[in-house]
Amino acid sequence: MTVKSAALKFLTLSVLACSIGPVLAQVSESDKKDAAKMASEVCASCHGPGGRSTAPTFPRLAAQTPAYIEAQLKAFHDQTRGDPDAIAYMWGMASQLNDNMIAALADYFSQQRPAPGTQASTAAIVTGRQIYEQGVPSAQIPACETCHGKGAAGAGPFPRLAGQHAPYLFKQMLVIQNALRSAPVMHGIVKDLTPQQMQQVAAYLGSL
Amino acid sequence: MKTRQLRSLLEDVLIGSALFALVLPSAWAVPSYARQTGMACSTCHTVFPELTPFGREFKLNGYVLDNMKQIKGITFERSETMSLNTIPPLSLMAQISYTHTSTALPDSSSITGALAQDGEASFPQQVSFFYAGKIAEGLGSFVQLTYSGPGDHFGLDNTDIRYAYHTSFDPAAQQDVIFGVTLNNNPTVQDPWNSTPAWGYPFAGSATAPTPITSAKLDSGAGAIGQNSAGLGGYMWFDHSVYAELTMYTGAKVGGTHPLDSSQAPLAHGIAPYWRLAYEKRWGQNSLSVGTFGIRAGIRPAATVPGSTTTPPQNVPLGPADKYTDYGLDTQYQYISDDHLVSAFGTYFHEKQNLDASFKYGLSANPSNTLNTEKLALQYYYRRKIGGSVGIFNTTGSTDTGLYAPAAVTGSASGSPSSRGYVFELNYVPFLNVKLQVQYVAYSKFNGGGGNYDGSGRNASDNNTLYLLGWFNF
Repeated sequence: MTVKSAALKFLTLSVLACSIGPVLAQVSESDKKDAAKMASEVCASCHGPGGRSTAPTFPRLAAQTPAYIEAQLKAFHDQTRGDPDAIAYMWGMASQLNDNMIAALADYFSQQRPAPGTQASTAAIVTGRQIYEQGVPSAQIPACETCHGKGAAGAGPFPRLAGQHAPYLFKQMLVIQNALRSAPVMHGIVKDLTPQQMQQVAAYLGSL
Repeated sequence: MKTRQLRSLLEDVLIGSALFALVLPSAWAVPSYARQTGMACSTCHTVFPELTPFGREFKLNGYVLDNMKQIKGITFERSETMSLNTIPPLSLMAQISYTHTSTALPDSSSITGALAQDGEASFPQQVSFFYAGKIAEGLGSFVQLTYSGPGDHFGLDNTDIRYAYHTSFDPAAQQDVIFGVTLNNNPTVQDPWNSTPAWGYPFAGSATAPTPITSAKLDSGAGAIGQNSAGLGGYMWFDHSVYAELTMYTGAKVGGTHPLDSSQAPLAHGIAPYWRLAYEKRWGQNSLSVGTFGIRAGIRPAATVPGSTTTPPQNVPLGPADKYTDYGLDTQYQYISDDHLVSAFGTYFHEKQNLDASFKYGLSANPSNTLNTEKLALQYYYRRKIGGSVGIFNTTGSTDTGLYAPAAVTGSASGSPSSRGYVFELNYVPFLNVKLQVQYVAYSKFNGGGGNYDGSGRNASDNNTLYLLGWFNF
């Protein structure tokens, strides 16, 4: 299988994933107000004001795609996302959220201004960018950009990765590779990525 | 005769102080918070009882974050009139320990030269029941009821009931400010950092080994005022970084004769203001805090008048009080990742003692004294499983042959309160709510000396203590 056909395959999967992604619910003004209060008084303790966290244990949520946030919160709520941090932190946090609040929180964070990226070593960023934009042809790994978009801005259920904490991204690739977190599209992509390549991609994305 | 009586009297006082120290607070983690939030212990604790930044937020937020179904009442305006967990926030904690001192302590019998058993298991050292969790919207509790094995008594331990309210001076900047009220029984029990005494390092210790003759009133050793006081205060937590608090304490003696009379000293007299200011900076996986805290407290001296031969003894009348002013500085650093957890704690106390009452009644040799204590500790854990720590503590102060008189084991031959020592710990955490600990405390100076410090031939190193602990929370 060539890189081009691999990319085509994942593009198809992407379109499929988009088509089966959650339909975003309408958010009432009352739910918006409640979500802003919860984001400020609860979520901010870990994810930072406006979802711009400083600790890499906690992902930055600002400007994240609402469909992705909604899908993750539902996965936490339903306990279908099972990586260690999800179990430790988010299974409890999301357990009492209803669909309206999940949609409102997704809407809230998607509208926050993103945090600036974090600089890393130039060599890692250069290689990481190459992997992100072109994949790893020798290992038949398609470009991340195919799904996550130019500048890693995300689209629909494919999360925004730009400016995310590099250690967080690295950890997510590891937990997906080790099947601790279910992510059907990603399993095939990260299975042959080396830890070094993961760190390079993460460094690039974190710098955006 | 007088000298012997005085010595006997002071022994009683010092032993009383030591026993008092036995019931002083230790710091516990509480599984009922985990049940209430649905979150693992590791979200709030590096390794219990040390708090993570999120744990500090949880505490300052009034212990009310809940992720379980609530029994609610609301008004037409949607304001909550009641919000109770469907499961009561109850927990149990058990500490089972073994203590071995380098040299056995003198027997309390009258048999000359008899020694107490050296190497003693405490089963339990302590068992605590907690009601720790949400009481109502914004209102939460940490209430601890403890049975002490060596003390064979059951009583109220650390307690902090607080209300927290969120607001913002600059909502556009997504700034968050918490204003809170705390009602508690131990200065610093309400503090979110582990560089202040109530929750400070070492987090557990022997209940039977000798401890230095004195400590600052805010510290956690002999003579401290925790758990015999009641405080009501207010605090502000500004934008996850600046903490300010002012709490007023008064004496709240547990047990004894009530209404309180002079036989119930030591007792905080009047209103004792406690202040706290701290700043925390968080970046990446790091957090660093620096702060100051202190208290000005009037304390009635804890003794009968030396030389008294009456029965019952002549007590110090209620009225005059000693004045203690404690100034504290503290700092804490944490690095928290999945694999490596590093913590460092530093605490400094300077205490000014104006001993108006003690000096008047001959309990102290000086009208005023000072006492200084420095504590430093460094701790490391690998994957929250295996860890160790090293700590050093050093106390120096005015020589006072009245306050710090010779007495076997507990006294000072030189009249000096100076003590210095080291703490070494190895910890194994098989589960997040279970800790197995080996601790060794080594003294290079105890109550003013290294050799024959008590005037009865005991050396500081004789008090070196090996302490094994099984600590279970469920």
